[in-house]
Parts: sequence; structure tokens; C-alpha cells
Amino acid sequence: MTHQLVISDLHVSVGDKEIIRGLSLTVNSGEVHAVMGPNGSGKSTLAHALTGRPGYTITGGSATLDGVELLTMSPSLRTREGLFLALQQPLEIPGVRPTDMLVAAGANPATVHESLRREADFVALRPEILERFVNVDLSGGEKKRAEIVQLGVLQPHFAILDEIDSGLDVDALGLVARRLFAATSEWGLGIIAITHFRRLLNELQPTTIHVMSAGRIVASGGPELAEILERDGYEPFRAQ
Amino acid sequence: MTTFLDAATDRLGTDSSSQRRRQLLELFESVQLPTTRDEVWRYAPLQDFSLEQYTLGESSPTRDLPEDIASTLAVACIVIRTHDGELREVTGSHPGVAISAEPTGEACGDVTFAERYADDAFSLLSGAMAPCALTIRVGANVVLDGPIVIVHDAASSSVFLNVRIDVARGGSLQVIEFLLGGEDALVVPVGEFVVNENAELTLATYQRLATSAWHIARTTTLLSRDARMRQSVVGLGSHYNRARNDAEFLGTGASNELHTTFLGSGDQVHDFRTHQNHKVGRSRSLLMSKGAVADTARSVYTGLIEIEKGAGRTDARQTNVNLLLSEQAHADTVPNLDIREHDVVCAHASSVGPLDEMQIWYLESRGVVRDEAERLMVQGFFNEMTDSLPRPIAALVEQHVSDVLAKVTR
Repeated sequence: MTHQLVISDLHVSVGDKEIIRGLSLTVNSGEVHAVMGPNGSGKSTLAHALTGRPGYTITGGSATLDGVELLTMSPSLRTREGLFLALQQPLEIPGVRPTDMLVAAGANPATVHESLRREADFVALRPEILERFVNVDLSGGEKKRAEIVQLGVLQPHFAILDEIDSGLDVDALGLVARRLFAATSEWGLGIIAITHFRRLLNELQPTTIHVMSAGRIVASGGPELAEILERDGYEPFRAQ
Repeated sequence: MTTFLDAATDRLGTDSSSQRRRQLLELFESVQLPTTRDEVWRYAPLQDFSLEQYTLGESSPTRDLPEDIASTLAVACIVIRTHDGELREVTGSHPGVAISAEPTGEACGDVTFAERYADDAFSLLSGAMAPCALTIRVGANVVLDGPIVIVHDAASSSVFLNVRIDVARGGSLQVIEFLLGGEDALVVPVGEFVVNENAELTLATYQRLATSAWHIARTTTLLSRDARMRQSVVGLGSHYNRARNDAEFLGTGASNELHTTFLGSGDQVHDFRTHQNHKVGRSRSLLMSKGAVADTARSVYTGLIEIEKGAGRTDARQTNVNLLLSEQAHADTVPNLDIREHDVVCAHASSVGPLDEMQIWYLESRGVVRDEAERLMVQGFFNEMTDSLPRPIAALVEQHVSDVLAKVTR
């Protein structure tokens, strides 16, 4: 079964400031969309607003998953509908064990240990790390990989990756990207990858690349767009 | 009308051991009960308290143990049961370990009972009225294979309880202590622990008295050279739960690790006090107090680290973390440092606040519904503490915490 995530004319404010100003994007199962853009263009705001982070106010537009409006739902329901966010800076939750969290998030208690181990193996994360409390005492790179492990256990329809590549070394980046790419065919994961670097895209093989500027998508194209960006920078795309 | 004090006086005999009790009772009378005007009692709901609410009960039969506690006894090397402060039963034995009921009010270290508790009315009353001092002596270099479990049952209206533990040089002992019962009762335990040179005592106390009880407890640990004390105090029961836990470092290299945990619900008041008195150098104290208050419960933590002149290279740390689970709940934290030596490491940190909204959101963004996220986090908050408890008690405390959390309103 294929799924569709449709973001349409989205407007988001943080405090009094409008950050996202009419953004539209459609992602289907198995597709990889990369969102690139200069600092402050609203990439992370897009990720956080879609997942209901406190402090981000939706002032207009919609985001539907298979026709069901997500933006009126609680953050947990959005995730349960199938939209998962892998954070740039995953939070530490002292005292809470990853398996308890994942079971509470809907993972099968009978198989959660096994799938944790399997997913940890994909991204070369020592499984004993996942016996500890969620993200506590993990290095920056380990936290990023732990996000991908959670994603692999929960198998959402769509994932937003918020600069999952920052802080990962080249080897880890390759493992993470290959895991995510495999997921696009394994269960048809659709991906919105927010990134600054082409490196991630080499492995992830995006179907579409979008350039964001001043809260809007100002250009979309195939992989060749990443090459143009690398050559010319964001300046030619800057929104008026 | 006969007052509580008249009844107490009548109860004391005329033999020589009663002489000291009589003296303690007279001291109690002259010190008088505290009021909230006394700084160290300002957080206690003393306006609701009167000794006349309580009676000195008659002896009653030993009661059956609750099932969950009975199931933990299998790991015990020795099981001791007290009933209203009276030593009722000792099951099991170990070479080099002596357990006895001794007269109360004896000196501990170089300080007499009357001196140590000169301004502490409740401890004086406890010394005067406790049926005995339950005394555990562990011989030099004696190491037990398993813990000693003590179950204190408070059946009467007023229960005075004295416990003394003395671990001789090189000895090692683990004690797990339960406090049960306490329906509408006043329960006043006094514990004195002497850990001699290079000896080790691990003591975990789990207070789960009825929520109508007033529990006013005080412990003192004396640490000789290279002695080690690891003390955990879990307070979940009582209407007013006061636990004062002091340690005196008398020998270099001594260390004390103290963990206190509480969960307040309903209109409970938890009042934890600590005094780490570093009299000599190269001693180490590590204190972690962590608790949560829900409903209209209140808590207060007052911790004093005292480092005397000459106690160089002392390392003393205290942390107090308070979680507020409702808008009506309240926590006070009062860490104090009194340092009279330069060459020391001393740190304290404290915080009071609700669950972190960003952490809740993080769990929600994994698909955990909000109520469940909060429950996981609160349970997690306590997991950090129960992890340091001896295994048999940890599971019981986790269950108790989870039962209370299921009932509190948020």
C-alpha cells in the first residue's frame, strides 16, 4: 500500500515572527525528497512544526497523510499516523529505557528487543548502549544513530530527517544513509531529508531536491540541482 | 485528666535502667515540643499536632507480614521482627553477629544520648519510651553472606523505636529495614550506627507507614578511618514524614553515600534533613535527594555540609532534585554549606520544577501519548533512585511508586 504526505500552503510562526510562508510539498511512499537551503530559511522550523513542537504555531495551511489532517492532532497521534521526526539534537530522557519508550510508542513488546538489536547492527551502534536510558551519556553521533534505530523499530510511513548528517563521521553517515535508503524499498518509507551537505544525498539518492529560502520552496528539481547548489551556492535562489 | 506525659511517667519503673529513661523524659519535658517558630520545624504542620491525640498502647500480638514483604525474606541471612519497638523475633544466625534487646539511652561514641539529643524533644521521648534498643553487633572482619532484614511493625497509637548497629573493624553488613503499620499513629525511630575502621554498612530503609501516621525519624552514623556507609532512605508513607540523617566523619578516608527518595501525594508533608559533619580530612560525602510531590503535597529538603578546620582534602557533594507533579504541590530546598577549610571540594545543586515540556514532546514525537510520556518520565525519575537500592526492596518501591502515581491527579 502506498501513502501520501501532502503539505499545502503551510504558514508557521515562532513568537510573532512568521518563519514558514506558504510552503507546499507532496511526498509519496518510497520517495526521497531533500530540502536544502541557507541558515534561517526555515528548514528546521518545517520539521518541528509538522511534529507539533511547543512554541511553533501553525497560522495557515494543512498537512495531510492519506487525506487525514495531521496539524490538528496531538504530536503523538501524528507520529502514530505515520510521520516520524529524527531530530538534529535528540533529547536525553533520564530514567527511561529505550525499549519502554518504544513499547509505549506502539512497538510490539514481544519483538522490540530483537528489532532494536537488528537496527543497531545496521548503523553499527553497540546494542548495550540501548540498554541505558534514552540518549543519556551518548555522544552526538551515537544519538543520531539511535534516532535511526528508533525509526527502524517503529517503521513509520514518512520520516523527516532534521540534519541527521551533522555530527556523523563519514563511515557512520554512510551506514545511516544506506539504512534509510533500504527502508524506502523495505516498507516504502518516504523521506524528507533536511540537509546542508551533498554527501548524504550521494547515498540516499533523492528523487527530488527542493531549495528553501525565506520560508518557501523556491526551486525543485532532480539530483542535478544539488550539483548546481554546490557550484553556485544559494545566492541565485534567494527569495525576493 | 491524665496527659500523655503523666501516662508516660507512670509507665516507667523504678529500677536502675528506668533511671535513665526518667532523666530523658524530664529532659523532654524541659525541652518541650517544637513549634513552627523553631527554624528547623518551620515546614512541619505542627499546628495539627498534639501528643494528646496519642496513647501509650498495651502489648498486642505480632501480626502477619504483608505478602510482598514476606516474599523478600528468602534472600535474608537473618530476619528480625519488632512490634511497637519491642524485639519479637530473630530468625537465622551468623557467626560473629549478635542481636539483642538492650537498654535505651546508652551513649553512642563519646556522646551520651542526653547530650546528643539535648534539643531534640522527639528523640528524647523515643529514648525514654522505646521498649528496648534493638542492637546488632558485627564482629571484626565478619562479612555476612546476605542482608539482615528488619521489619518494624507499628501497631500501637504511639511507637518509639531505637536501633543500634555496630560494625567492628573490617566487618561488612547490609541491612534492609521496613516500617509498616502506623494507622493514626506517632512513630519515632532513632537509629545510631557505628562503622568502625575499614568496616562497611549498607542500610536501606523503606518507610511505608499509613498516610495517617506522623513519622519523625533521626539517624546518626559515626564513621571511623576508611569506614564506608551507604544509606538509602525511601519515604512513601505517613502524613508527616520527617527523616533526619546525619553522618559524622571521625576518621580519614571515611565515606558516606546517602540517597533519599520520597513521593508525596494527597496532603503529605515530606521533611528531609541531612547533616554531613566532616571533622577530619580526606573524607567523602555524596548525597543525592530526589523526590516528587503531587496533589497538594509538600516537601522540604534541608542539607548541611559542615567541613571543620583541618579537614583538608574533603570531598563533599549534595544534590537535591524536586519534581512538581501538580500546580498545588510545593517543594522547598535549603542547601547549606559551612566550610572552614580551604583545600576541599564542595558542591551543591538543587532544582524544583515540573516535568520538562521538551522531554515530554520528544517522547510524544516518538508516538507516546502525553499521559503515558509523563508516567514514563516520572517512573524514570524514580528509576534513577531505585537502581541504587538493594534488589529485593527496589521492586517493591517501584511497584509502590507506580501505584501511587496511578492515583494522583495531575
